[in-house]
Amino acid sequence: MAQPVFPIALCALLLLSACSPPPKVSRQTHPLPAGVDIARSEIGRSGGVFIDSSPGEPSTFNPLVSEDATSGGFIGLFLDSLVHNNAVTQEVEPGLAARWDIAPDNRTFTFHLRPGVLWSDGHPFSADDVLFTFQAIYDPRFPNRAAFDLSVDGQKFKVEKIDDLTVRLTTPQIYAPFLETVGGVGLLPKHELEPAFRDGTLLKSWNVSVAQKEPQRLLATGAFRLRSYQPAERIVFEANPHYWRADAQGVRLPYVDFLVTKLVKDANASTLAFATGQTDAEGLSPDNVAWIDRYASRYGFSVFNRGPSPNTGFIWFNQNPGHDTAGKPFVTPYKLAWFTDRRFRQAISHGIDRQGLVRGVLFGRGQPLWGPETPANKKWYNPNVTQYPYDPARSRALLAEAGFQIGPDQKLHDRQGNLVEFTLNSNQENQLRVNMATAFKENMRDLGITVNLSFLDFGTLVGKIQDSYDYEAGMLGLTGGGDPAGGISVFSSKGRLHQWYPNQKTPATPWEARIDQLMSDQLHTLDYPTRKKYFDEVQKIMSDETPFIYLVTANAYVGIKDRWKNIRIPPLGSLVWNLDELWTPLLTP
Amino acid sequence: MAADLLRSLLRRPAGMISACLLLLLYGAALFAPFLSPTIPSAQDLSRTYHPPTALVWQNGHLSVRLYRLVDPSTATYEPLPDQTATLRWFSHGPAYKFFWLIPSTRHLFTVSSPATIYLLGSDATGRDVFTRLLYGAGISLSIGLIGVALTSFLGLTIGGLAGYLGGWPDTLAMRLTEFLMAVPGLYLLLALRAALSSRFPSDATFLLIVVILSALGWAGTARVVRGLVLSLRERPFILAANVIGQRPWTILFRHLLPNTFSYLIVAATLSVPGYILGEAALSFLGLGIQEPSSSWGLMLGQAQDIKIFMLNFWWLLTPGLAIILTVIAFNLLGDALRDAVDPRFRLPGK
Repeated sequence: MAQPVFPIALCALLLLSACSPPPKVSRQTHPLPAGVDIARSEIGRSGGVFIDSSPGEPSTFNPLVSEDATSGGFIGLFLDSLVHNNAVTQEVEPGLAARWDIAPDNRTFTFHLRPGVLWSDGHPFSADDVLFTFQAIYDPRFPNRAAFDLSVDGQKFKVEKIDDLTVRLTTPQIYAPFLETVGGVGLLPKHELEPAFRDGTLLKSWNVSVAQKEPQRLLATGAFRLRSYQPAERIVFEANPHYWRADAQGVRLPYVDFLVTKLVKDANASTLAFATGQTDAEGLSPDNVAWIDRYASRYGFSVFNRGPSPNTGFIWFNQNPGHDTAGKPFVTPYKLAWFTDRRFRQAISHGIDRQGLVRGVLFGRGQPLWGPETPANKKWYNPNVTQYPYDPARSRALLAEAGFQIGPDQKLHDRQGNLVEFTLNSNQENQLRVNMATAFKENMRDLGITVNLSFLDFGTLVGKIQDSYDYEAGMLGLTGGGDPAGGISVFSSKGRLHQWYPNQKTPATPWEARIDQLMSDQLHTLDYPTRKKYFDEVQKIMSDETPFIYLVTANAYVGIKDRWKNIRIPPLGSLVWNLDELWTPLLTP
Repeated sequence: MAADLLRSLLRRPAGMISACLLLLLYGAALFAPFLSPTIPSAQDLSRTYHPPTALVWQNGHLSVRLYRLVDPSTATYEPLPDQTATLRWFSHGPAYKFFWLIPSTRHLFTVSSPATIYLLGSDATGRDVFTRLLYGAGISLSIGLIGVALTSFLGLTIGGLAGYLGGWPDTLAMRLTEFLMAVPGLYLLLALRAALSSRFPSDATFLLIVVILSALGWAGTARVVRGLVLSLRERPFILAANVIGQRPWTILFRHLLPNTFSYLIVAATLSVPGYILGEAALSFLGLGIQEPSSSWGLMLGQAQDIKIFMLNFWWLLTPGLAIILTVIAFNLLGDALRDAVDPRFRLPGK
């Protein structure tokens, strides 16, 4: 009879420990650096644990290796950069560099580092770390993505140390997105990583195994440092005791003691964990907001509408005039004639009921999209692009003008009598996209056009689009937002993601030549109004010529527990912009 | 023999009920275009996730209630008080082809536009679930029949030949069946589907799935048929046939194989559910029937989303119910058939 007592006692003990307030976490206290940055936000209170979840596991903690958003997000928590791209204001703000000067030639940038900043192990941060980082990035022994971003036409930037706290970077030509690009480069600790740099094992350092066994070796300049990583379980970050920001009362940020990320199986599990009150923040898709709202009062959270997401969705036709090695054209010639006819593409665009898609498929939480940027990208979005509202009569008129006519079988035929029929390829993993594809098929049927749907797995689809080119039409999405420089591979006719006809040697049409010119021009001036004028014209041409027939953009939502104060939610990017300023009056959830 | 079988089957309540149910289901699948009020691809983006419409008796006519979309962001609908639309019988609706041949516009029942009837609600793009269920039945149910026909044919031929000829054909056939039975079914299915998918246009997927499922399924039948033939060929009537000088092929096809039919009928009936579930599993995983065609597995796969459960769109799970009913019916029928065919197997108490 004594046996059951033990588990009951244990349960009682666990319950007790769960109810009692958590022990006050004592943090190491260090004097604030001379160059401390004082936060202008509301003054809060230290303490608390912020919990979120991630459906993806980090593949590395080394910024030179990281290619995926999940790893990049975790690295951004502990590695800081010279400047920050504020996702809320879309402005460049001081980071580890307190200020910077731009020389009149618009190519020379002098960064003045914050004095007194220390790495999380207490070692001083200096210009040597900046030099070391660029040395590592440009070293051909360590191929990495940053090396490509930090060069213009294959030429590297010149990096010089003026003194311990001053660094000068010179670009070979004027390079418009310079500050934004530098803002993404996490600076590496020279004193920790130099041995690995010398013996050529830099890409192997700071991998997931190091993160598990020796988390303290991942030195931090950011608000947090890694405390522990258990694969498939959780990642715990703790407050960096040497962080260089403080509040107006001189209390060092971040306020939260710990940042816990639960690693879950998939997006469904992540959403469910938030809806049942297990996590503090979660990005929500429009179709899930409806039911999650019902749990808001029970678990004390609010759902914030971030507005339109930066994700675009579009349909396009293969306009590649080439042929495969056997001499067979990628696209049947008479179909290529339709696809390269602007009136045909505009007619299709007018035939799509985007309002219906928003209302039906996105539960009314989204808006029609007419151009390559969504309103989420406030700084660069052009609202005055050509729109194609749902108007089947206009579609028919455009088709008639282009020589198409409805035959006795009630189907559309071209001038030569060919039946207008094409196959639309999309990926099957995305149910919202499948729904849109079936709705598109119905819209086209009203115009007498036969659309066949083919759903492939993502890898096969990308192979068709980028390698074999043997398809007629596709439906995919791209994540927009950010600087126009990020769109060069899409808009430029040489680009790899110029999907309707990629990797062109010379632009196939005058308007593609014009876009090439504009994209190149905007890259070589630092003047925002000029760049904006150029990029506005790119967006206008894209909407006039409709190589991509844009569909809709869904709104993005973030759910956050009400106990968190000082929340600033950016329209794009991470869920919470100012994790270091978050605080809670309620230490227990 | 068939009449005897039928008579003894009908004497068993379970067999009779399941036979009737299956007849009903296959009938519904066959006459799907006529029975359904619309066509499976007809969408209505202003009525997505519409709940099943209630039927009421009003003014001496069967009518459907009309609904109003209260909140598009949660797809909440509310019946409009005292507003109904009268059901019209044998009226004209969207055009279809009966048996893929005879064009027609007659439907058993429709309501006049703009009202719509959703007997089992609507899906993510406002398509009628009832209509898609009926059209999907055609695919899901015929896959079972065609698949079983193919496997029975393959199993009978290969098993019969192996058992009768013996020697190296027997060894070859049996090693092949062992290989097929040793490979984990679902993985082989996935691998075959992936390898063949790029060569087939999407409308041929249906045939492709049947072929894949049959190519995997014949091994078991072949082994049993071989065993049956092995024991039958030592019986006196085969000896007699041999003695009067009948040719081996005649003996095989006239005397041996017909004697395995009773087993085959039972085995075939019991294996139909396997095909239906196989198709459902493939479509569920996104490797089977593709949009805009419908099948029960595909419909069920699309209902696998938390919001379906959280917002209680229960009508999207009806394909699951249809699968369960069909599978149970086939199993009961198979049991009843076995009892009828071979009284020695009859379980005590029956």
